[in-house]
Amino acid sequence: MTELDTSAHAGQVDVAALVEPDRVHGSVYTSQEVYDQEMDRIFRNGWVFVAHVSEVPEPGDYVTRRIAGEPWIVVRGKDGEVRVLANRCTHRGNRLCNADAGNSSSFRCPYHGWTFSNDGRLAGVPMRDGYGSSFHEVRDAMGLAPAAAVDSYGGFVFASLNQPAITLLEHLGRSTTAIDRLLAVSPTGELNLRAGWMKHDMRCNWKMVMENNVDGYHALFTHASVYDAVKPAKVSHVPSKVEVYVRDLGNGHSEIDYAKEYSRLDEEFIWFGRIRREKLPRYVAAMEAARGPEDTHRAFVVGPPHTLIFPNLFLAEMNVMTVEPLGPGRAIAYTTPALIPGADEVNEKTLRRSEGAMGPAGFLIADDGEIGARNQLGLAAGSPEWVVLRRGEESDITDETGIVNHDKSAETPQRGWWKHWTQVLTGTAAPGA
Amino acid sequence: MSDLTSLGAAAAVPAGAVPAAGVDPALASFVYTEARLADEARYSQWEALWDDDAKYWVPMHPDHDPRVNVSYIYDNRRRIRSRVAQLNSGNRHSQTPPSVLRRLITNLEVVAQDSDTTTLAANFVIYEYRFDLTVWAGRYEYRIRARGGDLKLAAKTVHLVNAGGPIPTMSFLI
Repeated sequence: MTELDTSAHAGQVDVAALVEPDRVHGSVYTSQEVYDQEMDRIFRNGWVFVAHVSEVPEPGDYVTRRIAGEPWIVVRGKDGEVRVLANRCTHRGNRLCNADAGNSSSFRCPYHGWTFSNDGRLAGVPMRDGYGSSFHEVRDAMGLAPAAAVDSYGGFVFASLNQPAITLLEHLGRSTTAIDRLLAVSPTGELNLRAGWMKHDMRCNWKMVMENNVDGYHALFTHASVYDAVKPAKVSHVPSKVEVYVRDLGNGHSEIDYAKEYSRLDEEFIWFGRIRREKLPRYVAAMEAARGPEDTHRAFVVGPPHTLIFPNLFLAEMNVMTVEPLGPGRAIAYTTPALIPGADEVNEKTLRRSEGAMGPAGFLIADDGEIGARNQLGLAAGSPEWVVLRRGEESDITDETGIVNHDKSAETPQRGWWKHWTQVLTGTAAPGA
Repeated sequence: MSDLTSLGAAAAVPAGAVPAAGVDPALASFVYTEARLADEARYSQWEALWDDDAKYWVPMHPDHDPRVNVSYIYDNRRRIRSRVAQLNSGNRHSQTPPSVLRRLITNLEVVAQDSDTTTLAANFVIYEYRFDLTVWAGRYEYRIRARGGDLKLAAKTVHLVNAGGPIPTMSFLI
């Protein structure tokens, strides 16, 4: 028991009573029971991000992941299909595959030698004569349990462990535009997410990590040290001076959108340290060859997205972050740079920028982690009971892109998150809808 | 660093390595000074130890190549200056107040030597007290250069035993 163990242990919790349009009860971050409901409704019954196709490019390639504490293998079979299989021997429950990543045509349990092909079929049972005929009748059904649904969009692989009520596309809704926007900076429309995942152990609730990613209010304060001591913000934080928007895309997805401001300035690579295109000649040539000069210019101006995809994916411009909840007060943030196949001159800069901003030692995220931990400590105080999300509620505008606010410090994304979260937990929206 | 295949290999010392007792006292003193300045959050004094072509590297795996892999830290001299400036700002929240730190450095050995640069390796344990006690451990590798009667730190690589992660926030000088 340390100071940081602040989880409340309530009885039956009615989550509908914990969320109002402009405020949420502090216990949504601290209650074990709320957490258990989230794992069940959001992570076991809805669409969650699990991996990127570039992590398993060849047949036999696999990565191992955890979803709601459960071990899974994401593996490409020799038929080319990417499957999500329970990483648990169907015999006695041993965790089957114990590497982070690798390539194998089969997985052999080290405990009693049961072997599964990488499409999940039970391929071998040692000393099979010791089993009677009744076993052999059910043997074919003893393959690795697959996730009920696996689908991908733009190379991002999502799974729903139980049968989802809706398709992945229905779940993603308007957020596909953010994935498209990221892929638009790649000549081939493909990404390479093989640089490695930084795994940052954060002492806060997983939702704080995600909500903070689309919080346009905190940067001037949480990250004052960067702007004061290292480099100024890429564009002004003063809302009246810039065309920067926050947007609730629906279904819990949301973003901070600089596209209009960058377009107004019509300047390339503001989002990439304002690098000049002359410094990236091969990349520029590949982009123009693939997309033509106009679309290339537009992609370089608008840049990648800053978009949260409910519940566990954050497209952090040229980084991808996913979060793994580990209890009410603990989460792991996984971050990897979004590299562009063949664009080495861009990728090395992306790697260095990623290290600069992201992860446990990053100039930005280290402080977000600290603020998250202190937020968890603050919420241990029972009074006041509520967290206030009223900023910008009177200036929200609904249009065809979602609920938009022209002040990037508005709490529009957070209101959208909680509205959807409540609908999923109370069953008024399909899990993952 | 290219021939390292694991932390075990990182710890390998070629035959003929100079045993600890034989490490030039000035080099050993430099190593301990660097450690003490980092422990005591004397950021600007710590920064002054670095040479212009500095490389401060904390990889996620000893085999990783910074050209294709992301590291926890891969600072050149300019980014070291920025890192120190951020720490000195008083608003680096994850080090405000600074973590209370003490590190032990042992098994100090010379692993390579050329005309002006000595490569040393050592094991370390760091005790970090912030919300509670966090223990960090691993292998340091230093490249220390004699320059005009001065010693300068040209490179420091930190192979954490838990480099594979997850790791807590690591915004102190490791």
